[in-house]
This record gives sequence, C-alpha cells and structure tokens, in this order.
Amino acid sequence: MSGLPMAGTRSTGPRRLLRHLLFSEYLVLYLSVAYFAAVVPFVPQMASAEVMRNILSDMLPLLMVAIGQTFVLIVAGIDLSVTSIIAMASVVGASVMTGDGGYLADSALAVPGAMLAMVAVGLAIGAFNGFCVTRLGMPPFIVTLTTMMFFSGAAIWFTTFHTETSSIANLPQGFVALGQGNMGGVPNALWVVAAVGIAAHLVLARTALGRRLYACGQNRNAAAVAGVPVARVVAAAFLISGACAAVASILYTGRLQTGTPILGQTILLDIIGAVVIGGTSLFGGKGKVLWTVFGVLFLVLLDTSLKMLGMSLFSVFAIKGAVILLAAVIDAVRTRFAARL
Amino acid sequence: MRLTRRQFTIGTLIAAGTAGMPLYVKAQGKKTIAVLFDGLYSPFWVAGLDVIKQDLTKRGYEMVQAISDKDDNRQFEQVRAMLARKVDGIIIVQTDSNAVIPAIKAANEAKVPMVHFNRPPAKTEAFSVAVVADNRKITNATVEHMVEVARKQGGKFKAAILIGNLGDPNAIGRRDGFFDVVDKNKDIIDVVARIPTEWNADVAFAGLTNAFQANPDINFLFTSSDFLFPQIVQAMKVRNKFHTIGHKDHVIFGGFDGDAMAYELLKDKYLDADGVQDLFKEAELAVNAIVDLQEGKTVDRVLLDPGFAIHQANLEQVRDRMWGYTIYKQKNG
Repeated sequence: MSGLPMAGTRSTGPRRLLRHLLFSEYLVLYLSVAYFAAVVPFVPQMASAEVMRNILSDMLPLLMVAIGQTFVLIVAGIDLSVTSIIAMASVVGASVMTGDGGYLADSALAVPGAMLAMVAVGLAIGAFNGFCVTRLGMPPFIVTLTTMMFFSGAAIWFTTFHTETSSIANLPQGFVALGQGNMGGVPNALWVVAAVGIAAHLVLARTALGRRLYACGQNRNAAAVAGVPVARVVAAAFLISGACAAVASILYTGRLQTGTPILGQTILLDIIGAVVIGGTSLFGGKGKVLWTVFGVLFLVLLDTSLKMLGMSLFSVFAIKGAVILLAAVIDAVRTRFAARL
Repeated sequence: MRLTRRQFTIGTLIAAGTAGMPLYVKAQGKKTIAVLFDGLYSPFWVAGLDVIKQDLTKRGYEMVQAISDKDDNRQFEQVRAMLARKVDGIIIVQTDSNAVIPAIKAANEAKVPMVHFNRPPAKTEAFSVAVVADNRKITNATVEHMVEVARKQGGKFKAAILIGNLGDPNAIGRRDGFFDVVDKNKDIIDVVARIPTEWNADVAFAGLTNAFQANPDINFLFTSSDFLFPQIVQAMKVRNKFHTIGHKDHVIFGGFDGDAMAYELLKDKYLDADGVQDLFKEAELAVNAIVDLQEGKTVDRVLLDPGFAIHQANLEQVRDRMWGYTIYKQKNG
C-alpha cells in the first residue's frame, strides 16, 4: 500500500538503475542530494550553516500544511482551502491576542486563547469541507475551491473590523517566539512540526484509521463493502488537513509577527506540489509523511537555490511548475507500471 | 537497498539536467545590492526598478533582484537568502508595513543596510531608512487644483475616490490628502463613493462600475494610483462619462503617480490634474542612502520626495520632471 513493488524481471545497467530510482521510495531524497551537490559549485553559500538553517526553518510551516494535505490526497481528495484557512486563522488569532485592542489583550490567556481560536478555525473549515464532500456528495475540488474563495474574502473582511490597516500587528512576544525562537539551538517550530509529523506518521502506519484512509483512497466501494465507515474516514482527512493548516498558520503568523489576511495566498502550488513531488499519489491510496518531508525538502531546496541565484520570480515559477509537472508525470508512470507488475 | 557509485553519478547527472541548472557567474570584486520588490504590477514599479538598476550600474554595483508577488513570507525568505548571499545592501518594496519588520531585524542583525523604496514600514525599534513621497501634500495640491476647476465651473459635485490597499501607508496618505481638501469644500462636493481597490485593477473596475450604477451623477473622480487608469477609462466609457475638458459631461478627473498614461490623458485634456512622485529623485535618494550607510554615515530614517502636482495650467513647464513624460518621449520620440 505504501511502497511500490520492485520489478521482478531480469535486466541490467541503466534500465535496472532507472527502475530502481523510479520505484524507490527515497527517489526524491536522492534527487535532493543530487540537486544540492549540483548546485553548490554555482552557489557555494548553499553549503553554509546559515543557509541550512534557513532551509530548515522555511521547510517547517510548509511541511506542517503539507502533512495535512497528504491525508486528503491519500483518500483521493484535494484540499484547496488550506491557504484560506492559513489566512483566516492568522487574522482571527491576531485579533484575539494583539496588544492593539485584542479580545484577550495583555491577558495571560492571550497566547493560548489565540492559538485555540486558530486551531478551531482550521477544524471548523475542515469539518465543513468534510461534511460537504461526504454528506452532500460534492466533489472535493469544488467544495474546497469555494471555501477557499469565501474564507479568503472573509479574512480581509474580518480584518477591517480590527484595524485601519490591512494587517494586525503588535502580537505578544510569547507567540512570536513560537515562529522565530529557538530552544537549545533548535527552532521552536521544529518541536511542533516534529511532534505533529510523528503523530501523523503513526496514525497512517500503525492505526486502524490509517489503514482505512488508504483503503478509501484505493477503492471506496471495496472499502465500504469491507466495513470501512467511508464517510467518517474521508471527513477525518479533511478535519486533519484543516487542523494542520491552522498550526501552519500559527508558525507563519509568529514568523511575520503579523496577522495578515493574505498570508499563504500564493503557496497552494507549493503545498500540493511538495506532496506530489514526495510521491503521494494524486489518484489516492498511496502516500507517507516521510515522502512529504522529502517533497518539501526538495521544493525548498530548489526555491532557496533559485533565490540565491537571483532568478526572477517568473523563472522560479516556471522551473517549479516544470518540476511539479515532472513529479506528476512520474506518479502517473509509476502507477501505470505498478499496475503491470 | 544499496546504491553503487555509478548509479549515484548517473542519478546526479539526471537530477542536474532535469532541474535545468541555470548558469551563475558571480562578478568578482563588485559590491552587490539586492533589490526586492513585491510586484511589478504598475508602470511606477517597472520604471522604478529600471531607474534603480541604471543608477546602481552607473555607480559600479552589481544588482540582484527578486519579486515576492505580494507574499510577505516569501519576501522574508528572500531577504534571508540575500543576507546569506552576503549582499552589501537591500532596497525593498514590501507588501505589508507590519510584516516587513522581521526582515528589517534580520538585516540589522547581519549589519546590512536596508532602504525601503517608496513605501515606509510600520513603527519599529529596528533601523531602516525609507524613501517616501509626501503623499498627503502631493494629493492636497492635486485635489486643490481639481476643486479650483470645480469652483470655476460652478454647481454641485458628486465625488468618488478609488482608495488603495490600506496596509500601504502611501494609500493612507493619498486618501487623507483627498479628504483634507474635499472636507473643506463640502459646500460644493459630496463624496458619494469610497471605492476600495486593494491595489487590484479588477477590484477597482468592479468597484467603480458599481459606484457609477449606484450614483450615475458622479462628476468628480480621484484615483489613488495612475495604474488604474485603463480600468477607470473603460468604466467611464461604458457610462458615457469619458469626455475632454470643456464638454458638458466632463468628469473632473485626477490621479496620482505621474505615469505615461497620465501624461497622455493630460495632453489630450481628459485629465485635470495628477500628483507626481519624483521617481528619479527617489531612486537616487535610495541608492545614496545605501552608499552612505555602508560608509557608516548617519542617514535620517525618512527621506522625503516632495513631489508636485501637474495640471493643465503648468503642463508644459513641469512635464520634464514627470517620469511618465520621459517614458512617453522614449516611446513616441
């Protein structure tokens, strides 16, 4: 279910290497290492501790939201609303804790209250998506596209009630430290993402819910016949995705020290791209948290190197788009080959 | 699972080829300035980037540029990437005045001077220099001329203003500059439409169209940026409101920026007045500030471009200082 079988036919040389690379679950990690090795002569600073730290910290919020997306893709769904969840949670959380007249301003409960509100936003939108998909039978693409549009607008509208400007600043230091601070030289965000990542991995690999998620992604009818509560399982995937996007919003908002309604608006391609590059199938039934880690690593590595090279945004878009397209093609080829083997 | 050296080498080559590895040759011995814009979505920013580039090249600097596409987080990452690249200075146009503060702090920590071009940050203890136009004063002058025209014409006026993204202090300055003047002239001007644009042309078009539907008698119009002219002209044409000065249905019309289309509209007598930012002066101030900061000199936190208002009465005299006229001349000879 998670890995793909290796070809059993006898062959030698490049064909065997190609097959090995194509079907290895570490393919993207190899590519990341190879890309890094290839780019370092051109941008030697890539190998510096500072850039490594930047890559790690850039990966964390993106990985958080990508983990949630992995769950949805495994059940053969898609969640386009994650960017609006990030934005909505950002302004709701900021409105709770901002020193400029927040609901819990200057209270000891400001930070925990704001974080709870942010996660609640993610869960609520995720639950709504899950309800529409499972109970009303609507396609995930349409449901999450429309919730994305609605909550992107709602986030801007919500902001206008709390500030004269377009963002909510003056957030408590305790919250900002979550996005920017370190504990023992390790970024605080890393603890959060590692905890969520390990939990997500355990859910997928070791629990009944994990097995049911894969089963629903592979064949919903067969899963239903086998006694899997398909509607509840699919709804759970959207709920998890919403919660992960909200936690990502906490990290992004802390990082920028600002609640902004346009937060995350342009990263949808990065989120879905990272998951797909990692090897999680767009057709459902296949995916791992570890693969998503590799996908995010590759994408951030690519992004960082292009930034360091001073490439224009349009070139960055074109190259990233090409890489994601290539990943989708590889996914289709792997799925086709796997079916033959 | 084992990987031989040969397999690894082939894999590396495939990866490098796939990624379409761009060639990069760093100029040796040259100081590098990073120019980070949030977008090139109006002629002002396109021209601004070009003028800065020319100025830096003239002074022997290498310029590396990046566009964040209105993504605050991406811009923060770009700043960190440039700091890791050991650039000697950063000229930045941020999307949000609050969200840029972590980037300023990062630059401060790395002891790399940062200058905000045409858009100041929010109040912060972190140090950076902002080159800004005196938006409020320039708008005052522009709208005062429009009111003067209205008074000469006589009668009552229904006014509309297209407001920019209020996360941008420039937009606030222009909005306030407009209301400073119209509030003193309430006897003849009634503001019936405040149209938010978020600096988005589509939003502006939809907002103005709605405003014309709700108030068909709007006859006094100010836009906080010239880059919205194409959409405004289109909306006016649809409502049969686009007429030259002197026509009985002419809408008293003003803008802000000083771009090439503003010059054309002024020349063709569709536009009454336009607030002009002195782009050349701003670019020069920004580069001077970077150079001075590198040399350890003291630079004020805010460097002001006084700008000016151009209108039918002074068009011939001051157009040479209008950056849009320079572009117009280049295009039309």
